Amino acid sequence: MTTTAPAPGTVDRPRTLPRRLVGRVAVAAGQLVAVSVIVFALTAALPGDTAEVVLGQQATPEQVAALRAQLGLDRPVLLRFADWVGGVLTGDPGRSLVTGVPVADELAGRLASTASVAGLALLVIVPVALAAGVTAGRRPGSVTDRVITAVATAGQAIPEFASGLVLVAVFAVTLGWLPATAGGGSFTGPAVLVLPVVVLALNQVGRLARQIRIGVVETERAEYVVHLRRLGMGERTLLLRHVLPGALPPTVQQLARVVDGLLGGVVVVEALFALPGVGAGFVEAVQGRDLPLVQGYALLFATTTVVVNLLADLVSDRLAPHREALR
Amino acid sequence: MTRRPDATLVVGSLLAGIPLLAALVGPLVAPQTPPGTTPLLPPGTEGTVLGTDVYGRDVLGLALTGGLSVVGLTVGALALAYAVGTPLGLLLAATRRRWLDTAGLRLVDVALVLPPLLVLLVLAATGRRGVLWLIVGAAFVQLPALVRLVRSAARAPGRLAVQEAQIQAGEPWWRSHLLEPARAAVGALAVDAGTRVVLVVTVLTSANFLGAGLEPTSPDWGVVIQQNGDSLFLAPETLVVPAVLVVALCAGTNLLTDRLLDRREYV
Repeated sequence: MTTTAPAPGTVDRPRTLPRRLVGRVAVAAGQLVAVSVIVFALTAALPGDTAEVVLGQQATPEQVAALRAQLGLDRPVLLRFADWVGGVLTGDPGRSLVTGVPVADELAGRLASTASVAGLALLVIVPVALAAGVTAGRRPGSVTDRVITAVATAGQAIPEFASGLVLVAVFAVTLGWLPATAGGGSFTGPAVLVLPVVVLALNQVGRLARQIRIGVVETERAEYVVHLRRLGMGERTLLLRHVLPGALPPTVQQLARVVDGLLGGVVVVEALFALPGVGAGFVEAVQGRDLPLVQGYALLFATTTVVVNLLADLVSDRLAPHREALR
Repeated sequence: MTRRPDATLVVGSLLAGIPLLAALVGPLVAPQTPPGTTPLLPPGTEGTVLGTDVYGRDVLGLALTGGLSVVGLTVGALALAYAVGTPLGLLLAATRRRWLDTAGLRLVDVALVLPPLLVLLVLAATGRRGVLWLIVGAAFVQLPALVRLVRSAARAPGRLAVQEAQIQAGEPWWRSHLLEPARAAVGALAVDAGTRVVLVVTVLTSANFLGAGLEPTSPDWGVVIQQNGDSLFLAPETLVVPAVLVVALCAGTNLLTDRLLDRREYV
């Protein structure tokens, strides 16, 4: 790679935080625009008559024509897209084909349930991953490290529906300790949430723990840590004041992936445990071929991913600004 | 001197080996039940080992035949992803137009913000389900990572000197910019495939579990679990047997590839 001297007066200065912030938000906004195009293309603009697909083979031509008119399928694609985007921006992305409820109300009504499950899972995931990652990372190569790494590696690979079913079979069917599902209605008590939270945590703890372990191993090998240990600094102080602050910034990005994975995993977990959140709502909308709802949910999930990644970028920027300045 | 066997490798091989064996050899030896067999028979009755499911099919037979689609779909999706992603990554690496490279990458990155399962579910909602759409959808969501990987491998600093020498020697463009970089990327792609297998299995089996994939009568492990969802308390083995096979396949494959790719981690 060759480098050239900068022209006088154009010395590359690290971009200021407000400029970086504006840049990131612009990228996120671009991603959202692109995602809305993809979601619309997948649901409304691909070849094939959506109205026929939604109504099935038994539908009469009159019914198909009525639905085509209702969905606006007889209008040019670009106009339909502009209408839909306009609706999304003004908070009115249409109504459910099945219930007639506004899509925005349907999504808002289910968000609380999903947020509580994902939030509870995070409360379990972060401390467990931190404890496992630090324990493994401080003694790399030990039996404890090997066991933790193996369990984390295996756990992160298992699809939520499969681990969930095995846990339900053991703890709900065989032992009868916990309810198998929420029964499709509202929560009947905190016990209903135990298995969903465990299933979500099982999958995500491994990812975070492994990232924390790598951070701890690398920081422990850093010269300043070796030097401080030689000087006789207590292990507790060393860990809390030097090793963890050095090891944690890179895990912020992984934490973002965990949060994103939680929301993705919620689709399966809510369907499995009949929890009334956005994941189950999305699956129901897909099974009912309720296109306005499917579009709404798809945009919600993609937006969550974009926003979570944006926040992670900004937080890691704040924790380790020198890394960003070097980019 | 005898070396102690690596415990992670042994456990990984066993966990991944059993479902793989069931998937590949199982269809040849799977027991069948005649049409009209009583549904939800308990294990050990009427000549069955594990009983029957809601459609009266032998649960052991389903376990032995349902892995073939899991393996086949995964291989198909991976093959399509590499067949599309590799040339795309090579072209982005080969182009001299920087705007084209940047635009290509940004376009590919958009797919990164689409959760994989979401794509398959949206396709299913619009009537695009079945083997072909499962393979296309699962391959599509792998593209961003693949294109970036191939582009980086083809542009590795060590490659530049080789490429320059080839250009000076008068090698044709396709050889110096496509074929040789492709050869250089083979190692990175092989490593990537080891870890990508589990991601693809997860998204495909999850889509089938959610009813967004194969036909309801398919013996696929994910579909069988979905179809027998209401028999959890009546005949738990109809769900638990395929679920355990998926758990073992994913956990074992990840353990195995992780250990094989990173054998020096503990040294």
